[in-house]
Amino acid sequence: MMRGLWGMARNDFRVWLRSPSAIAAALLPALGMGILVAVLTNSVGQQPVALVVQGKGVAATRMANLIKGDREAYLVTEMTPADAERAIGEQRVAAIIVVPAIFDSAVAGATASVDLYLNNVDIDLADDIRRSVTRSIAEFDAPQLGLLGELRGPSEGVLLPNPYRIGIAEHDLRDTNVSFLQYQVIPIVLLIVISIGLLGTSLLTARDFERGTAKMLVLSPVKPSVLVVGRLLGGTLITITLVAPLIALGFLTHHIPYCVEESTAPPWLTILFSGPCGWILPVPSGSHALALVALLIAVTLMTVGLGTLLGVALRDTRLVTMTGLNGSAYLFFLGGGFTTVAFLPHWLQIASRFVPTSYAIEGLRQALFYPDLIGFGRDMLVLSLSAVLSVVLASVMLTRALRRA
Amino acid sequence: MSAWRLFRASAALEAAQLRRARGFVILTALAAVNFLAMVSLFGLTGAYAPVALINLDGGPYARGFIEALNGAHHSFALKYMDSTAARKALHSGRLVGIITIPPGFSRSIESGTTVPIDIRIDNVNIDLTNDVQRALPAAIVAFGHRNNFPGVRVIMAEHDVIPHDTGYIPYLVVSALALDAMVIAGILGAMATAREWERRTVKFLRLSPASASVVLAGKLTVAFAVAATALGITLLAIVFGYGVVPVDPWTTVFALAACVAIFTCMGAWLGAVLKRTLAAVPLMFGLAMPLYVDSGALEPTRFDGEKIWLIAHLSPVYYAVGVLEWSFHELRVTPEPVYVDMLVLLAIALVAATLTLGSLARGGRR
Repeated sequence: MMRGLWGMARNDFRVWLRSPSAIAAALLPALGMGILVAVLTNSVGQQPVALVVQGKGVAATRMANLIKGDREAYLVTEMTPADAERAIGEQRVAAIIVVPAIFDSAVAGATASVDLYLNNVDIDLADDIRRSVTRSIAEFDAPQLGLLGELRGPSEGVLLPNPYRIGIAEHDLRDTNVSFLQYQVIPIVLLIVISIGLLGTSLLTARDFERGTAKMLVLSPVKPSVLVVGRLLGGTLITITLVAPLIALGFLTHHIPYCVEESTAPPWLTILFSGPCGWILPVPSGSHALALVALLIAVTLMTVGLGTLLGVALRDTRLVTMTGLNGSAYLFFLGGGFTTVAFLPHWLQIASRFVPTSYAIEGLRQALFYPDLIGFGRDMLVLSLSAVLSVVLASVMLTRALRRA
Repeated sequence: MSAWRLFRASAALEAAQLRRARGFVILTALAAVNFLAMVSLFGLTGAYAPVALINLDGGPYARGFIEALNGAHHSFALKYMDSTAARKALHSGRLVGIITIPPGFSRSIESGTTVPIDIRIDNVNIDLTNDVQRALPAAIVAFGHRNNFPGVRVIMAEHDVIPHDTGYIPYLVVSALALDAMVIAGILGAMATAREWERRTVKFLRLSPASASVVLAGKLTVAFAVAATALGITLLAIVFGYGVVPVDPWTTVFALAACVAIFTCMGAWLGAVLKRTLAAVPLMFGLAMPLYVDSGALEPTRFDGEKIWLIAHLSPVYYAVGVLEWSFHELRVTPEPVYVDMLVLLAIALVAATLTLGSLARGGRR
């Protein structure tokens, strides 16, 4: 029995490795998403703005320094009015901030203004700049409303009075911030597992029926139940073989010297390593690492079961590919990939409760980014139940289909 | 045989093939709606961070401050809850932060005393953290202005380049149309040519005295028609489902049809190169997202830096987004004029069609 089981699993594994289009179908969309995240990292946070300082006085200089100093918010380039106008027309900057010539005298009369010429092409970008410029201007009269004041002012017991009469005491939940890239890489890990598990197994199953090899399998001296378990084992092996090195690479990139921010490597090396360096996963502690492995195994089993079900139901490799790609995308997005479920409308939040991947993404983020494992038990329970359900259903359906082949 | 009859015969054959692959065509069309839904989900995360508000004051100034928080550039989705529930939600990643208005807030504000507002932020995601850190001073400034507190010397005078703001989702769904056009028309175009290799009919095509360009035109016209229908449904979903109405409907329809035609040609070339539908489909899906995001889909690409903008010129979606955003919202998202975007797309289509014909001819010789 074990020989038959292992033989089926090994055969599936080899067939899959010899199918470049199947590997491409499973990996390319996920890698595409990965590249999307990497590019997206460049788009968040800082916006390019032109600064035109027409005032020559102390107040104008101080205002300009406040804007130039907020490197978290802007990529500031100081320009002449004509250059700034040309730059906004050519979309080299998203906005022009003008500190006018009469700024100092207007400040003395408490009637000063800073002009913002904004390319409000979409509200997300426009609001980002509005918030940032408002903060910079507020800092002029209320220094503690700047980022430093938020983090090191009232929260550390130092409160300066300000004309807005409100200060901000910010307390961050954790010592280190997780980068946008790291935060978004987690769903990509999951998308890879889903794509390989779902598409890999469904293509193998569909191909058996499409090419008639299912009949040969039935005619072999091995019991159908052994073939079924072998197929599920093969799918699991395929997924683990591809996912494990990818995750390991995520931990190993910490040790690539060219990946550190202060790397003095030549630019060509930095560019060469920018891909792998983007793939950095935080190293979890012992219990969190176990939680991570358990979650990944549960998701793998769930997707392998679903893939087998899909293959049995459709029995056509092209249909399976399209359904698998669409299905994976839904599981990914509704589960919280690239989206934060808490941001979604209430009805979508409820819908996402029925998407097992939402528990997987929450669980993975909890295991990798949070000091405790709040909610992990619930996430693991849902994923385990989903895995058991999909594996049992897949076994029943595939056994029945093989008997009728 | 006349060219017209040949064209019709080729189109009829392609239509019959597609009818036989109904499931695949339906799933391809469904992918168009899927992309739209996914882009919308992404758009929903662009604003309104879920933040718990604990109001321990309840006075008039506290209410005023809450109004200012609600009006702070679409920043906060305030959720009123007690501190225990808020802390639990924050620690399990369901909230970005907790804002606490302390007791005696209104009394202190009334007397001119500066009051510290406590905010606990889950700084797990730096993008969300930045948004909250910037939005809070904006709300405080709005609160100060609304109450005409003395001592404020500088204000911001905003001058928008465009008379009205375009919502994030209305912006994103239009760029999603370009992505849809690429994926749907590309897959159907690829299927039309790859099938000739899959079924080994490419040799017959080469041996036939019929003009390969007319045969290809017939096949691609049907692929175009099916893709255009799918895109038409998506367009209707955008207009009636999302309420996003194009400024110039006829220009939008023309621009979309042009994009579909161009991407059908590109898909045909991809199909001729890969020679297998199963290889072309994942490649299209895989290319879709990177090409989409580096195409001005989320904001004009040049704002992301000169390097990314230069790379974007390699993506046909960049030009398609430029054309569609202009026709839908009258927005210029590429520094190049819209007619240049259109001309580049046409040039890409011509090159793709020529290369496809070349591949079909070479395929027959093998």
